[in-house]
Amino acid sequence: MDDLLPRMLSFPPHPPPPKPLSDEKYDEGIKAQIAFMQQKATTKHILDQTSGGESTLNVINPALNTVPYIFTLTAQLSEALNSNSTKDTEWLWAKICNFMSTFDPRQIRYLGIQLEKLLQDGKTFARRLGQAYTQDFEEAVPVVEKPILYLPGTRDQTKPRLPCDLTLPVSAFLTINSNLTTKLRHVDVLEYFLYSGMVFIGLRKWEKALECLENAMTYPTKESACSKIMVTAYKKWILVSLLLVGKPLTLPRITNSGAAKIYHILAKPYETVAQLFETASASRLKSEIDIGSKVWQDDCNTGLMLEVLAAYQKFQIRRLADIYSKISIPEIVSQTMSAESGNRISAEAVEALIQEMIREGTLHATLSQSPNKPSILTFKVGGPTLSEADFQRELAVSTKQIQALSQDIKVTDRILTHDKDYIKYAAKQKKNKGASGGGGDLGLGDMDWNVMEEEDLMNGGF
Amino acid sequence: MASAPSSPTQTRKRSIVVTDTPKFDLESYIQNYKGRTRLDRLILIGTSSTFLGVDALKAAVTEAKQGQDVKKYVEAVGHLQIIGPTEKEAVVDNAWVEKQNKHNAAETNRLEHELKGYKNNLIKESIRMGNEDLGKHYQAIGDLAKAFEAYSRMRQDISISKHIVDVSKHLIEVAIEQRNWLAVSTNAQKIRGNNPVSMEEDKSLQPYLCAADGLAQMDSGEYYSAAHSFLATNSGLAPGQCSEIISQNDIAIYGGLCALASMDRNELQRKVLDNSNFRSYLELEPHIRRAITFFVNSRYAQCLAILESYRADYLLDLHLQKHVDELYHLIRSKSIVQYFIPFSCVTLDNLNSQFAAPGKSIEKELVQMIARKELDARIDTQNRVVTSVPSDARARLQASTLAAAREYEREARRRILHMNIAEADLEVKSPKKHTLATFGGADEWENSMGAGRALRSFHG
Repeated sequence: MDDLLPRMLSFPPHPPPPKPLSDEKYDEGIKAQIAFMQQKATTKHILDQTSGGESTLNVINPALNTVPYIFTLTAQLSEALNSNSTKDTEWLWAKICNFMSTFDPRQIRYLGIQLEKLLQDGKTFARRLGQAYTQDFEEAVPVVEKPILYLPGTRDQTKPRLPCDLTLPVSAFLTINSNLTTKLRHVDVLEYFLYSGMVFIGLRKWEKALECLENAMTYPTKESACSKIMVTAYKKWILVSLLLVGKPLTLPRITNSGAAKIYHILAKPYETVAQLFETASASRLKSEIDIGSKVWQDDCNTGLMLEVLAAYQKFQIRRLADIYSKISIPEIVSQTMSAESGNRISAEAVEALIQEMIREGTLHATLSQSPNKPSILTFKVGGPTLSEADFQRELAVSTKQIQALSQDIKVTDRILTHDKDYIKYAAKQKKNKGASGGGGDLGLGDMDWNVMEEEDLMNGGF
Repeated sequence: MASAPSSPTQTRKRSIVVTDTPKFDLESYIQNYKGRTRLDRLILIGTSSTFLGVDALKAAVTEAKQGQDVKKYVEAVGHLQIIGPTEKEAVVDNAWVEKQNKHNAAETNRLEHELKGYKNNLIKESIRMGNEDLGKHYQAIGDLAKAFEAYSRMRQDISISKHIVDVSKHLIEVAIEQRNWLAVSTNAQKIRGNNPVSMEEDKSLQPYLCAADGLAQMDSGEYYSAAHSFLATNSGLAPGQCSEIISQNDIAIYGGLCALASMDRNELQRKVLDNSNFRSYLELEPHIRRAITFFVNSRYAQCLAILESYRADYLLDLHLQKHVDELYHLIRSKSIVQYFIPFSCVTLDNLNSQFAAPGKSIEKELVQMIARKELDARIDTQNRVVTSVPSDARARLQASTLAAAREYEREARRRILHMNIAEADLEVKSPKKHTLATFGGADEWENSMGAGRALRSFHG
């Protein structure tokens, strides 16, 4: 192994040369490297340990030398799958996970086939280990919070000359041909949006959850078709909007109108709950939710409904801030109700609830306690004001993101203008234009009309 | 266009009972009016006021018997039988009813017949007049729908512009009685639009039209426009000129109340108190003038006290009755808002002494007003004060700027995504084979759910 290592680590050069490699040189280098590794991978040699008894996977840095690492890793993984031994499985699993979050994004562009194999085998391996289906949503966040703009299509599969070109838009190299993605169906995309929404629901990040669910709800459809996933997303969206702002939000502007109609029919029970949440009494809301329990259960929304019930009184208290500047706990007790019980709750419970809300940051207020007297809640007027520096920073972030988006708009525009169908259409338009320019029938008619009008005007003048 | 004549039971579905003593004198009040509105007004007072009820109904019975409207007569007697069965007018004079019915039927016959004759002779002027006579007759006997029809038919045979005015005036009168406000305003518009000349010639038209417009607007709750219509009334209205529909006092009261309910202090000063046209009307109702002056001078409690003392009067007014509560509520909330403007902090006791009835608290009303965003203030129940909300323009601007940027970003992303979904040919399409065209992809999804089941059942 020791003799192999220097060759395996020869690309990319380390430490990086003062003048970065040109794209051509990089392309050349990595292709040679891959060819070499492919050849070595056919031998068992690649599984050898170093002379110090270390595994190669401990020696190579996956972030720097992604190429040799992925070949070694896939080889080790198939070995482990074939041998059925349980030795070092945990260690190998950790290596896979680590690789997935650290690989070099430039090198991986050349490694579609290997990545696909790693994912496939990794899945089998995980199933054997019983590793899958953890409910650690936090780990999914870095992935699901990334906005999605492009989807690999089936049309116009051109191969980029130099995949390593860092100025390439993502849609140019992340194609089905590159094996970095498989052919998607709309169900896959919708599922992704729905599940990322549910990850954020699990983490109680309501705003992000809404955004993901909206992606599913506003998914483009043809001929007012609608997917069941979209309806599922809409149902959850209603409940999450109650939890975030205390009332049903209006549908995002780009919701398909045909889909919207279907939502209103299929999610009627949810819309009723949303209306009651804002206007009705706690007991009315509770009885409505109790009656519908079968519906929520079938939709797997019982948990969210319980959250909605718990949020009712919190929003009542938050709304008091629009009317009062200072109010005592007994007064709050008499003016609000718990939808969980459908009744008033004790002063102690209300006070605990308020303390929780202040801690969460959902209520801008201070609670002052004094012995032998009821506690008093003082609402702060307005939200927290940002300092000038913070505000500038926030603005700068926004500006940067919007500028980045304009780049994406250009890319999308390019994709669209290079679409086969569009080119056909444009060519046809051009041809038609050329044809009608010669005839000029229409043009003449217009002119006649203008003359008439001018004459009329002149007559009127006299 | 003509809606069914409103039956007496319909118009007073929620009958209002006024137990307070009104300030006006019934006899001099009713003398302000002419024509059928007298009967309507008497019956309204008779059925609403416990104090004037019997007198008003007795007058109504007498009034009805002088006319030809048998239905109204029977109605008036019916009401009287309930509240004053011992009165001698409380018995239906069957002989008169029979005679009048016969007479009405014969008259209807005669006029219809005459009209047919005119039509055969094709003399336009005669047909027009025939229709007019028929309309008047139907109006007199209380068949308003037919009256409206007959008057409308006059329009076909118009020869001079004065005729247009005549037709429209007839129609307005009938429509007001029918409460068909749409017809009132369209006909007022017709007079205005078609005859600028006759407007010049006939000075009495302007007040008439203003009054008709004002009534229509007031009825639909557009108090600000109504106020403008009434305030625009020229001062030339001679006593008794529009008295089929409205009296000069009414113009002052309606205009004053609508203005109070819808205008701010500057506007009131400029458009009401300094309005030389309207002054002649206000002089007839000096208390309205006083109330407005008090309001303009920020003495809201006095203003409200004056209005309150006239509440009974206004509740007995044919057109004002159903708007009194709404108008008073508007004026009251406006007073509270205006009262609050110069202060950053007012004690609740202070507000109570200004606006609440003795022993009552204004707190509930304040809560409602703040909740409806009529009053920008917060209540401190511990120190019993109401404080105004310091407006933090900076914070608001910051928040709205960032929100706008975020919203733009999100929307732009989603649109880019949509274009790329379309480009990748990944839209949801209706499945061709399924009959349920709307649930594309549903089955597919259910089957492919395996991996997601764990996620889905979270919270479940």
